[in-house]
Amino acid sequence: MRVEFQDIHKYYGRVRANVGINLVLEPGRIYGLLGENGAGKSTLMKMLAGHTQPSRGRVIFNGKDTGGLNPSRALAMGVGMLYQDPLDFPALDVWENFRLGGRQRDKKRVLSRLQELAERFHFGLSPEEKVSELTVGERQQLELLRLLDLGVKVLILDEPTTGISVTQKEMLFTTMSQLARDRGRTIIFVSHKLTEIEELCQEVIVLRQGRLVAQLQSPFQSEDLLQFMFGAEHAGTAESPERSQPGRGEFIQLEDVQLSGDKYSLPDISLQIRPGEIVGLAGLEGSGQELLLRGLAGLARVLKGRLVFDGEELQDRPYLKFRQAGIHFLPAARLEHGLFPDLSLNEHFHLAFPPQNGGRDNLLPEEGIKKFNIQGQLSTTARALSGGNQQRLLLALIPAQTRLLLLEHPTRGLDHGAGQQVWSHLLRRCRQNTALLFSSADLDEIKAHSHRVLIFYNRQLVADRPSHAISVEEMGRLMAGQGRAV
Amino acid sequence: MDFLALTLAGILSAGAPLVLATLGETLTERAGVINLSLDGTILLAAMTAFALAFVSGNPWLGLLGSIAVGIATASIVVFMGPILGRSQLAVGFILTLLCRDLAYFLGNPYARQFGPELPVWSIPGVRDLPFIGPILGYQSPVVYLSLALTVFFWWWLFSTRAGLELRAVGEEPWAAFARGIKVQRLRIMYTLLGGALVGLAGGAFSLAVKPGWGRPQGAEGAGWIALAIVIFGGWHPLRAALGAYLFATLQVLGIYLQEQFPGLPAPLFQVAPFPVMILTLLLVNVGSTTWFQDLAFRYPGMKRWLSRWQVTAPAALGQDFRPEK
Amino acid sequence: MSYAAKFSLSFGRLAAAVFLSLVFTTLILLVSGAPPLHTFVILVAGGIGSAAKLAQTIAVWIPLVLCSSALLLTFAPGLWNIGIEGQIILGAIFATGFLRPFPAGASPLVLAGALIAGMIGGALWAYIAGVLRTWGRVHEIFGGLGLNFVALGLTLWLIFGPWRRPGVASMSGTEPLHPSLWLKGFKGFSLSPVSLVLALLAIFLVIYLLRSTRWGLSLKAVGQNPEAALLFGLKPNKRIVEAMALCGALAGLTGALQVVGVYHRLLPAISSNYGYTALLVTMLASFRPKLIPPICFFFAVLNVGSIQLPLQLKLDSSLSGVIQGVLVLSVFLVHGLEERWQLFRRKK
Repeated sequence: MRVEFQDIHKYYGRVRANVGINLVLEPGRIYGLLGENGAGKSTLMKMLAGHTQPSRGRVIFNGKDTGGLNPSRALAMGVGMLYQDPLDFPALDVWENFRLGGRQRDKKRVLSRLQELAERFHFGLSPEEKVSELTVGERQQLELLRLLDLGVKVLILDEPTTGISVTQKEMLFTTMSQLARDRGRTIIFVSHKLTEIEELCQEVIVLRQGRLVAQLQSPFQSEDLLQFMFGAEHAGTAESPERSQPGRGEFIQLEDVQLSGDKYSLPDISLQIRPGEIVGLAGLEGSGQELLLRGLAGLARVLKGRLVFDGEELQDRPYLKFRQAGIHFLPAARLEHGLFPDLSLNEHFHLAFPPQNGGRDNLLPEEGIKKFNIQGQLSTTARALSGGNQQRLLLALIPAQTRLLLLEHPTRGLDHGAGQQVWSHLLRRCRQNTALLFSSADLDEIKAHSHRVLIFYNRQLVADRPSHAISVEEMGRLMAGQGRAV
Repeated sequence: MDFLALTLAGILSAGAPLVLATLGETLTERAGVINLSLDGTILLAAMTAFALAFVSGNPWLGLLGSIAVGIATASIVVFMGPILGRSQLAVGFILTLLCRDLAYFLGNPYARQFGPELPVWSIPGVRDLPFIGPILGYQSPVVYLSLALTVFFWWWLFSTRAGLELRAVGEEPWAAFARGIKVQRLRIMYTLLGGALVGLAGGAFSLAVKPGWGRPQGAEGAGWIALAIVIFGGWHPLRAALGAYLFATLQVLGIYLQEQFPGLPAPLFQVAPFPVMILTLLLVNVGSTTWFQDLAFRYPGMKRWLSRWQVTAPAALGQDFRPEK
Repeated sequence: MSYAAKFSLSFGRLAAAVFLSLVFTTLILLVSGAPPLHTFVILVAGGIGSAAKLAQTIAVWIPLVLCSSALLLTFAPGLWNIGIEGQIILGAIFATGFLRPFPAGASPLVLAGALIAGMIGGALWAYIAGVLRTWGRVHEIFGGLGLNFVALGLTLWLIFGPWRRPGVASMSGTEPLHPSLWLKGFKGFSLSPVSLVLALLAIFLVIYLLRSTRWGLSLKAVGQNPEAALLFGLKPNKRIVEAMALCGALAGLTGALQVVGVYHRLLPAISSNYGYTALLVTMLASFRPKLIPPICFFFAVLNVGSIQLPLQLKLDSSLSGVIQGVLVLSVFLVHGLEERWQLFRRKK
C-alpha cells in the first residue's frame, strides 16, 4: 500500500511537532525514520496509525484520503504500530492477548493460528503464560504476530530495539526483511540509533525540529546522517565535559550483599566505590541494575551481607537513614515517582529543604530556579514543566551534602542540549567528591561519562571494567549474555 | 441430618441477596468502574420492591421495580463518573447516603406493614432427592436465580470472547481501545447490568429473605459487605459467591448462637460481620506489604499458603477513560 | 477573568445546582403526597423560626463544623475517612466513661478531662483505621465502615449492659449525668459557649495546619504522590496515621461535646449521623475552608427543621438528608457539565 503525507502540520498549542511534511512511502521497502528526541518522529507515526489527527494536511492511502483516523480504523486499512512499550494486557494470557481485537475464532483455532505464526518466524511463545511474565522482546514478538494476523500492510516499529537482547534484535531484523520482501509490506523503522538504521533500512528519512530535512537511499554515510540530524553546527558527537579523577579510599563497600526486590533478587555482590567515582550500569531492563541502585538508596531489602557507606553500616537501616547519610536517589519516571504534579516549584523546595536543617548550603527557591535554568515561575506546578525542566528541578532539589547520587536514566527523553546540561551539573558534583552511579540504555552515554562500567545480565553482575578498557560493542554482547565475563 | 439440611437451606437463602449484589458489583468493577452506592441502592430497591408489591398485590412487579431502581442509581454513577469525569468514589458515596435517606423518606407509609412475598418454589424432581432435596428443592426464586447467575457469569467472564473483552477493558482500557473495543460503551453496559443485579438483591431482601419494610429494614450494611466480598473474591464470580455464603453462614451461625446463649449481648451478633469483613480484606491484601514480605522470606511456607489468597484488582479500576485526544 | 466575572460564575453554578435540587425535591415530595411549598416553609421555619430553634440550629452547626474541619485534614492526603462516624461515637463513649465515677459537684477540670478523654477515644479509633490502611492495605473506607458498626455495637452493649440505667434499660440511653457535669448553655438553651469557641478554634487550627505548616504541605504531597513523598523523606505512612489521629481527636471531641453539652448521657444515636453529613459538607465545599461555616449552617437548618416533619406533616425526617445529598450531587453535576461544555467549545 502506498502511503502519502501531504503538507502535514501538527501543533500542540504553541509547540510545533511537525511542520510541512511531504512524504511518499512505497510498498515493499524498509524505511528508517531518523531524528533525535523531540524531532517529531513519533508524532508523525501516531498520525499514520490513527492515534492523533494532523492539524493541517492529509494522509493518503493508495490515492484515497483517509479522513479522520482512529487506531482501529487505521488497523482496518492495514496500518499497524508496534510500540516501544507494547500496548498489551499484562494480566491476561498470551493467547488471550493474541485473540483480543482479532477475528472471530474459538479458543482452539486461536491457539493453532498463534502456533502457526510463531513457528513461521521462530518465536518461542507459550500460549498459556501471563504476558506480565514475558520479556519486552517477547511482548514485541507477540504484538508483531497479532498485527500480521490482522493483515497489516504498513508496519511501524517505534524504537523497537530498546530493551531487547542482541539475538532478539537480529531475529527482528531478519523478520522485517522477510516481511518487506514477500507481499510487499511497507516497514517504517523509527529510531535515533544510526548503526541500526544503516544495518536494516533501504531508505532513510531524517527529521529535525519537526521538519523533513533529508531523504536518502542506502548505502548511507554516517557523517551525512549526523549532520542532518543535528544541523551543520553540531556535526559529530559533541565534546563531553571534562571528567575528573576519582578520589582515594573505599567510600562505599558492599560485601557479599544480597539484594531483594519485588520481582527478583540479586545474588551476592561485592563492590567498592571511591569518592567522586562515576559508575555506569548497563543491562537490559530487569537485569538487575535497577535493584542495585535501589539497594544502595535504601529502597530494597538487604538479605545478607554488609553495606558500608563512609564507615557506617547501613544494611539493616531504613530508607531515611540512607538519606541522612547523604545518599540521594533520582527515579527515571520523573513526574510519576519523583515529583508532586500539582504542587508548585516553591512548595517542592520547601519540602525538600526544610528551613531548620541543612541551612546555608541548601538553595532558596528563587536561587534554585535561576541556578538550574528551570523554565518556570515559583508558582508553576511540576505537571506544567517540560521533561527537561522536570529533570532540572529534580537536580536542583538534591541536598548540598549529598555524597552518593543514584540516577535511573538521567537523560531519558531529553534532547541533546538538555542532556549535556544535566551531565555538566552532575560532573560538577563529582568534582566535589560525590560518587555517582547511574543506569542508562544509551551505551554511548555510559562509555562517555563513566570511570567504570558494571554490566548486568539475567539478574547477575557479569562484568566490572574500567570504561576505557571496554568497547560499546562488547558492552552490548555482555548485556546479552555473550562474550567473556570478568 | 434434618437440622444440617435446614441450616444449609437457610444459608443458601440468606446468602442469595449478597450473592446477587456481589456478582453485580464484580461485573461493574471488572469493567473498571466502582459503584460505591450499593448499600443505599439495596435499601432503596428493597423499599421500592415492597411498596410496589404492597400497592399492586403482585410481588413480581415489586421485583421488577427493584431492578429498575438498581439500574437508575447505576446510571447516575456511570453518568457522573465515567462520562462526566467526577470522582467515582465521591459520587457513589453521596448516592449511598441519598438513596438510604430517600428509602426511609418515601418508605415511611409502608413501614411495618404486611405485604406480599415471593412464592417459595418447590422443584419437582429435585425436592425428592436425598439430602440435596430439602436444601435445593424448596427455595425462593431469587435463590435459584443467584445460583444460576453465579455459574452463568463465571462461564461468561472466562470462556467467552465478550467476557475477555470485559476483562481487557478493566485492565488496560487504552490498549483495548486501540484494538477497536468500545471501551466506554462496555463500561456503561456493565455498570448498568451490575446495578440491575444490585437492585435485584434489594428486592430479594424485602420480598423474600427479610420480608417487609421498616426503619431499620435489616439489610443495612449488606451493600458494604458486598463491596468487601468483591475484593475478597478476587473479582471472580465463584470465589465471590463463596465469600457471600461464608458471610451468610456466619449470619445463620449467629442466630443459632444467640438462641443457645441468651446471655451474650445482642449487638455482638449484629456487629460481628464487620470485623470479619476487615479481617478478610486484611487476609487478601497483606501479602503486598513490605513487612509481610520480610517475614515471608524467613517463613516461606507461610508465604506460599497466604499467596494463594492474595488478590489483584483490575488494573484500571476507578480510573478515568477519555477517548478524546 | 475579573473578580466580578468569577463571582458571578460561581454564583451561577450554585444557583443552577440549587435549582436542580429544588426541582428534584419537589418531585419527591409530590410522589410522597406532601405539599412542596408548605414542606419547605416548615423546614426553614423549623430551623430558624424562633430563638429556641435558632439555638438548636447552632447547636447542630457546632458538631458539623468540628467534623468538617477535621475531615479537611484527612482529605488533604486523599483519604476517605468514612470512619469519622465511629470516631465521634468513641469520643462520646470515652467521655461518658470518664465521667461515670464522678457523681456530683465536680470542678470544671473534670469536664475538661472528659473532653480530653473524648479526643483520645476518637483519635484511638481513627488510629486503628489508619494503621489498617498503612500496615494492612485495608482501604480506609472499609476499615472505617467496619469500625463504625463496631462502635455502634459497643454503644448498644454499654447502654443495655454494663452502663444501663437501673431497672430501665432502654434506647433513651444511659443514666443522665448530674447537672453539675453539664456544660452550661446560654440561658437555658442547650447551646454552650464553650462548644462554640471550640468549633471556631478547630476550623482556625485546621486552616493554619494546612496552609502554614510544612506538616500540612507534606499531607498534600503524600496525597498527590506517595512514592515521591517517600523519596523526599516525608514519611507518608506516618503522615497518614497522624492526619487520621488528629481528625479522630476532633471527631472525638465532637462526641464528647454531644454527651457533655447536649444530651448529658450516652445514646445509641449520639453521633446523629454528623460524621456522614460532615463528609457531604466537605465535598460540597470543594474542600475550601471558607465555605464550610455557611454550608454547615444551611445543613443544620435542614436537620433541625426536619424534626418538625413527622410532627406536622407525618413525613419522615430523612427529607433533610435527601435534600443535602441531592444538593451535593447537583453541584457535581453542574461542575461536570460545565467542564464538558468548555471542552466542547475549545474543540470548535
